[in-house]
Amino acid sequence: MKQFTYIITDEVGIHARPAGLLVKEAKQYASKIVIQKGEKQAEATKLMAIMGLGVKCGDEIIVQVSGEDEEHAATQMEAFFKENL
Amino acid sequence: MDYKHTAAEVLRLIGGRDNIISAAHCATRLRIVIADNSKVSKEALEDVDGVKGVFEASGQLQIIFGTGLVNKVYDAFIENAGISASTKEEVKADAASKGSFFKRFIKTLGDIFVPIIPAIVASGFLMGIMETLNFLSNNGYISLSNESTLFILANMFANTAYVFLPVLIGFSAGKVFGANPFLGGVIGMIMVHPNLQNAWTMTGGVEQYLDVFGLWNVPLVGYQGHVISVIIAVFVMATIEKWLHKRVPAMFDLFVTPLVSVFVTGFLTMTVIGPVFNFVESGIINAIQSLIALPLGIGSLVMGALYAPTVVTGIHHMYTIIDLGQIQEFGYTYWLPLASSANIAQGAAALAVALKTKDQKLKSMALPSSLSAFMGITEPAIFGVNLRFFRPFICACIGGGCGAMFASITSLGASGTGVTGIFGILLCLNAPVKYILMFLIAAGVSFVLTWLFGYENKKTEQKKGNDIAKADTQDHCETAEKADEKSAEDEKNVSAPLAGAVVSLTETGDETFASKVLGEGVAIEPSEGKVYAPFDATITAMMGHAVGLTGKNGVELLIHVGIDTVKLDGKHYKPHCEEGQEVKAGTLLLEFDRDAIQKEGYRTVTPIIVTNADDYKAVEGTEQKTVSALETLLTVK
Repeated sequence: MKQFTYIITDEVGIHARPAGLLVKEAKQYASKIVIQKGEKQAEATKLMAIMGLGVKCGDEIIVQVSGEDEEHAATQMEAFFKENL
Repeated sequence: MDYKHTAAEVLRLIGGRDNIISAAHCATRLRIVIADNSKVSKEALEDVDGVKGVFEASGQLQIIFGTGLVNKVYDAFIENAGISASTKEEVKADAASKGSFFKRFIKTLGDIFVPIIPAIVASGFLMGIMETLNFLSNNGYISLSNESTLFILANMFANTAYVFLPVLIGFSAGKVFGANPFLGGVIGMIMVHPNLQNAWTMTGGVEQYLDVFGLWNVPLVGYQGHVISVIIAVFVMATIEKWLHKRVPAMFDLFVTPLVSVFVTGFLTMTVIGPVFNFVESGIINAIQSLIALPLGIGSLVMGALYAPTVVTGIHHMYTIIDLGQIQEFGYTYWLPLASSANIAQGAAALAVALKTKDQKLKSMALPSSLSAFMGITEPAIFGVNLRFFRPFICACIGGGCGAMFASITSLGASGTGVTGIFGILLCLNAPVKYILMFLIAAGVSFVLTWLFGYENKKTEQKKGNDIAKADTQDHCETAEKADEKSAEDEKNVSAPLAGAVVSLTETGDETFASKVLGEGVAIEPSEGKVYAPFDATITAMMGHAVGLTGKNGVELLIHVGIDTVKLDGKHYKPHCEEGQEVKAGTLLLEFDRDAIQKEGYRTVTPIIVTNADDYKAVEGTEQKTVSALETLLTVK
């Protein structure tokens, strides 16, 4: 399992649009990707669940990637967050 | 997804460009009318990227792509195939056109007449009464002043719809043929223009002729009572109008197209269509005159049966000529009883339908139509009832023929003209028993035949139809007709969470929604700032400007009020629920201040997205242009 933390810099947080992009990104990988914020966590392929996290600007999230392509997926996901959120 | 590739694949698998009659799309489906179905590889089509299902229904090959995708594939498709875009209506028309010419003709007549029935049924009935009263009063049977205000007004109101029937037909035909209906109406108005001599009251002969380029003369006479020639004229106009729409630059379209199409059609109508029609009519009248001279009532049998079809074509306005000619020659008219018999038979057939049907709407229309036919005004019965189901029409023709034959064999003659049906007996007071027998024969034969063979109760037919349809080919795009389909097991309806105009996701102007990254759905331009739960659900996300729900039925729905409104950070929004809460359908979830949001420069158009659309075969939007809150908006299959 790979894991990284990320602090959201996008001023409006993970709202519908980035959540949609996130899901699209996460679906490309075979690995299971889980996003954790505080006590809540959500699978990155589930749009509703991600929006349910209510991630705001400045929140710290933990992204866990586990599966056969976790190495590649984790790098790509981190790049995605930096670019979009 | 590569739309072009998908479109090319679809084109290849349906047998290429030459196998397409027309193509259109609705909210979710590509609808193609195919020339030769055997060239279509349905199985292979289902495997094409983006295709969610393929089936044939109502003469069309329907390929489900889903909202948002279908229009892109469609654009690529028509470009690739090199065909012009057609509307859904045109595709339907093409589907209908696969029937025989005769069937199409009857269907077109029905499509044109059904919308104008409310205008002509009651007024036909009233006109029958008025004509009868007028006749009774003129002949001293009753003492009633036909110069009283009420009588004059009632008489005028009663016949208005008939005096201007070509206008109503022109409007309706314009709609049916895909022309501007108002221009169709104008064509109808030209044909009964007050400057033209009235065809009904032409006892003094034609007053004025027009010279057409020195080639021939046309009588300057109106087309009162005409049906077919109006429809032909509007058809010509529709063709011209559509041709022009494609070629005239948009800048001049509004000015040039209506002007040219009306002028050209009007000119053709008055100088070619009308005169040709008149020529055919006089030929028919002559043929009828020799036909009814045949002995043993055979001629009358044939003519009694053919009388109603001639009403359909509008020739019947010339029949007064026959009546008057016969009265002059013999002192009696043998034509009137024949006409009476044919009219009575149509009334009896409509009556049989009225008594037999369980469809309340049809019943309420067939009954007055029948009564008005018994009083001599048959248009409502013919066009509204009998011809629509066709078999009652045939049964009535047979009945009319039998009655006419009896009248002819017994030499039943009428002393005057002007009223048929029940009160026609007043013209036959020389032989009232014969008239009554003729009446009973015509009505009896027609009624019994219609009752036995002419009309099957619709309910049973519909049920059969539904079972078959549910099995495979139900046409879900027409949600309006399918409102009662909630019971279908593999379907879930999503009600509209808010009231307003329905627009496609592409029209939101937001790439995220338009590209379906978030899922399939439609958007609503809200007319009210209230969001309701569209089904029993758990609130999975409450973000101020947007609500996410997971339904008991498994559907995950995102209601995103406004575009980019996340930036308002909840300002102008008032949530009425919280995350994790369970809500019933219809619960108020969120209120928002529409005007305030718009004043801040944001659009309030609200995408409603099934975010787990991938779990389903299709998400289809309603075809309604506007919805009230909690009306069916999406169907998830």
